[in-house]
Amino acid sequence: MNVDAVSDIFRRVLENAEVSADSDFFVMGGDSLLATRVLSAIARACGVELDFDDFADAPTPGALAKKIASMA
Amino acid sequence: MSVVVVGAGLAGLTAAADLAARGVEVTVLEARDRVGGRTHGIEVAPGSWVDAGAAYLGDRHTALTALMAELDLKTTPTTMTGASRFALGDDQDGHRTRAGRFPPLSAVALGEMFDALDELTRGLRVDAPWLSADAAALDTRTAAEWAREHLRHPDARLFFPLFLGEMMAADPQDVSVLHMAFYLRSGGGVRYLNAFAGGAQEDRIAGGAHQLCQRLAAGLGGRVRLGEPVRAIRQDDDGVTVVTATGSLRARAAVVAVPPSLADAIDYRPGLPAPRSTGRTAPGCAVKVHLVYPAPVWREHGLSGWSVNARGPLLSTVDDSPQDGAVGVLTGFVTGREAHRFAALPVGEQRERAVAQAARLFPGLPRPIGFHATDWVNEDYSRGCYAALFGPGDWLRLGPRLVTPHRRVHWAGTETSTEFFGLMEGAIRSGRRVAAEIVTTYGAEIVTTHGWRDNHV
Repeated sequence: MNVDAVSDIFRRVLENAEVSADSDFFVMGGDSLLATRVLSAIARACGVELDFDDFADAPTPGALAKKIASMA
Repeated sequence: MSVVVVGAGLAGLTAAADLAARGVEVTVLEARDRVGGRTHGIEVAPGSWVDAGAAYLGDRHTALTALMAELDLKTTPTTMTGASRFALGDDQDGHRTRAGRFPPLSAVALGEMFDALDELTRGLRVDAPWLSADAAALDTRTAAEWAREHLRHPDARLFFPLFLGEMMAADPQDVSVLHMAFYLRSGGGVRYLNAFAGGAQEDRIAGGAHQLCQRLAAGLGGRVRLGEPVRAIRQDDDGVTVVTATGSLRARAAVVAVPPSLADAIDYRPGLPAPRSTGRTAPGCAVKVHLVYPAPVWREHGLSGWSVNARGPLLSTVDDSPQDGAVGVLTGFVTGREAHRFAALPVGEQRERAVAQAARLFPGLPRPIGFHATDWVNEDYSRGCYAALFGPGDWLRLGPRLVTPHRRVHWAGTETSTEFFGLMEGAIRSGRRVAAEIVTTYGAEIVTTHGWRDNHV
């Protein structure tokens, strides 16, 4: 999954179009509940199941895409 | 007299205060020896109060915020710092400490659960849930059946009843899918309803939520009468006669501002065209426990006081210590099926179980210096808390008449508000709505400065 695809998920879950590769999910108004919805969307799209701590470590589309690539 | 209000909870007192402010002569009849309904304060140390009932608010609770400003009440934030404790395994000793509030469960599984709930609530007509697409199908099944069909991962199945217990004090078997979806949407959506920071639990009321009703009642003075359970309401072409245990009052109109099953316990003549509740309408299942310690000792161990537990009695705990630091207060929520079980125990056993569980969760806790268990399930004049739970079939039967007056009898209470149903915000909005409805319906005939007044009382 590339950065653009992860950014799209952020945009949909946050209902906010202003997401870039280095937008921090939690700074943009995301919380742990919404984070689970990003993770379920990633699992549906590419089969990679991240846990909450993975997301907390990498809360931007750029960092998350790298983490997904390392696990796929 | 012009208008009788039945019930001195937040809805009834808001309505009465609004009516009084417009020059309407009003009397409030309250069954208990106190005002407040499902808000109630407990003094845990001299001058330090905790909420035994409704407690929280967020920025979308605009009617409550406005009322607080009128009553000169302030908020206090529910900030949580430190790690959480989780006991979500099968074994008693499976306790885990984690940073933040996220439970040690599959985030993907919980995400799928929230996706499914989001899809469910999205299509709902929150202003009239019985008119939603698929309303009939959603009203037939229970939330427990929905969970069996839609949640496959064991972590989601474990978490779902805890989530529903916390959000709406419901056992999944007690509520229809339609009611669950409605409740979550009505309160602002799953995310808003669940969140502390930025959500419906952002703040508490400094000094306790019970002050809302106390101050409203103080403003109404002698117009509020305690210890007056209403037995019957008779109507004729000119007005209503409200019969209490000790006498009767004549008025132009009545506002019944009590939960649906209590509204049904009043004898109406002529009778209601349809009941306010059914055999499937269940009480909100909540027992709120307060454990009082000399100090919030858990903070010294880097813990926030927040915990989530698969086994009871305390399914979650939160630090509710007063800001002055006089004592440490751990509030425990006993909800859903667990509330019925716990409520049936003798108080000594309730105390032992709660104290033992808190000691397992938070190491180094001394014996508590105070214990309070507030059982809302069996409270005669509440019959449940947070709110009545609409079971299968209820919304289709009850929804269309939720706010329809029975001639001169009008309805209020958080269960009549499709906005923030079950919350203090819903109660206040219902009180404002019914006051406006009364003024519109009866106009000048009830405003004392414009004439009509009766001589019965």
